[in-house]
Amino acid sequence: MKALIISEVIDGKLGLGSLEIISKVRNLNIEFQLVTVGVDDVPTIGSDSFKQTYLKRSSNSLQYNKVADYINNIIQNEQVNLVLASSTYQCRDIISFLSVDFNSSPVSNVIDFSIENHKVQTVNSINGGNQLYKTEVDSEVSFLLIRPKSFEAVDIELNSNYISIDVEDGITKIYDIHKEEKKGPQLEDSKVVVSAGRGMVDVSNLSIINELASKLNAAVGGTRAIVDAGWMPYSQQVGQTGKTVKPDLYIACGISGATQHQVGMKDSKFIIAINKDEEAPIFQISDLGIVGDTLNILPKLIESI
Amino acid sequence: MKIAVCAKQIPDPAIEISYEKGHIKRPEEQVLDDTDRYGIELALQLKEKFDAEVTILSMGPKGTLKGVQQALQMGADKAMIVSDENLSGANSLTTSNVLSELAKLSEADLIILGTESTDGYSGTVPQQISRYLNLDCISYVKAVEVNSEKVILTRQTIEGSEKVDMPDKCVISVTAGGVEPRYPNFKDIMAAKSKSIQEIPLNNLNLTAKNNLKFIDIEEVESSKNGQKVIDDGEAHKFIIEKLKELKIL
Repeated sequence: MKALIISEVIDGKLGLGSLEIISKVRNLNIEFQLVTVGVDDVPTIGSDSFKQTYLKRSSNSLQYNKVADYINNIIQNEQVNLVLASSTYQCRDIISFLSVDFNSSPVSNVIDFSIENHKVQTVNSINGGNQLYKTEVDSEVSFLLIRPKSFEAVDIELNSNYISIDVEDGITKIYDIHKEEKKGPQLEDSKVVVSAGRGMVDVSNLSIINELASKLNAAVGGTRAIVDAGWMPYSQQVGQTGKTVKPDLYIACGISGATQHQVGMKDSKFIIAINKDEEAPIFQISDLGIVGDTLNILPKLIESI
Repeated sequence: MKIAVCAKQIPDPAIEISYEKGHIKRPEEQVLDDTDRYGIELALQLKEKFDAEVTILSMGPKGTLKGVQQALQMGADKAMIVSDENLSGANSLTTSNVLSELAKLSEADLIILGTESTDGYSGTVPQQISRYLNLDCISYVKAVEVNSEKVILTRQTIEGSEKVDMPDKCVISVTAGGVEPRYPNFKDIMAAKSKSIQEIPLNNLNLTAKNNLKFIDIEEVESSKNGQKVIDDGEAHKFIIEKLKELKIL
């Protein structure tokens, strides 16, 4: 088995998801190399312990098709038979393109995988984590999209030992690049997360959530329902189609706990849920459940801190 | 201009998904995936601007066509569907293969989809279709601005967002919340009844995707925590404070 991990440069560093995949691949004793996509000139993403190819793209051009063409070549030249990437926006694009090239349907949202008799077996979490769905991939080249936080990230020393390739521009131009300001603790790495759902009733009540979060030095998240309603940006969505978080403490405020949401937070170490509805599914996965009106309880809580 | 919107019929999302031999059990009557309403809405806004024709493309096992009807009720002009038992449990690549063949038949310039379905959520179909059709994929569109000269699409990226001018031919995936889907009124609902739903036999399509994903099994996980439950009597916040201290957060 020979693996290729597709990675990306985020904030000048190697994407956290790929560090998680490296640790898993090392545990399985699989030979691997990396290919990393980014716009930085000389990011510190190389290593003496694995081969790294840097595909430098231009920030002003949509080039993922061309990026996929380069990776296609690497897969063929290096006789790769397992391609792994974290489920990020650009890796989803790239893996999808390659899956067509190699006529091999990818497995998305993988939380674990193994090699049995030279075949890749994957595990998906379904129905809010109450069931594990196992698949065997029967392809010459297998493509896996891994959910972030599935494995503990490896701690490695990185240098500038890599091959660098400039990817030529695509037809579609990109402009008005906006970097979301990262204020305070981030969802992905905060020890405490305070999340809001429909039970907060109105967008104006999110100020209570923000106040609690700032007192606890916590990141703020939300359910798909409130992100769809425009209360919060997509980047703060926790759940199946949003982010996966595993903080020490997760406080779910006015969240019923739909499967879609549970997938993204059920592995938090300690879960406190506040909800009016005693039957809300969130209580099934909570360590401390408070049945009551979030809008009454939170102000008192904030005052007592 | 011709626009195709891929729409999926899914089991009622309020009910927990059940599986049969590893495939999602699909009842006779399925509904339109809410995620697809964003794609349909975008198409309708473009139709109003450019006088386009909007075709719904859908595939799946046989059943009633309630979901497709719901898509037509929003204002799409017609539908093309492939309905075949052999598509039960189709993987994402097969789905994309079928839909891209349908897109060719519809002669669409633009193909619009949601970013991922609510039931399968593989999140790879729009990009796969674009690769099959050799078109650019403008993925994760979270805002749309139609002005007199052009259509500006704002893409969600890991660091924030970026803009592109919509190419004449491309595949677009729209995130939930990217546009505000309209509700059909009584007149729209009545009008949809006479719209054409063309059924294309699966055999007529050039399918190359393989069934490379083999179901092994489903394992139950004990996940119920049986945590402490407190009914708020006005003092429940004290339990939280106590817990925060115990966890050394305070």
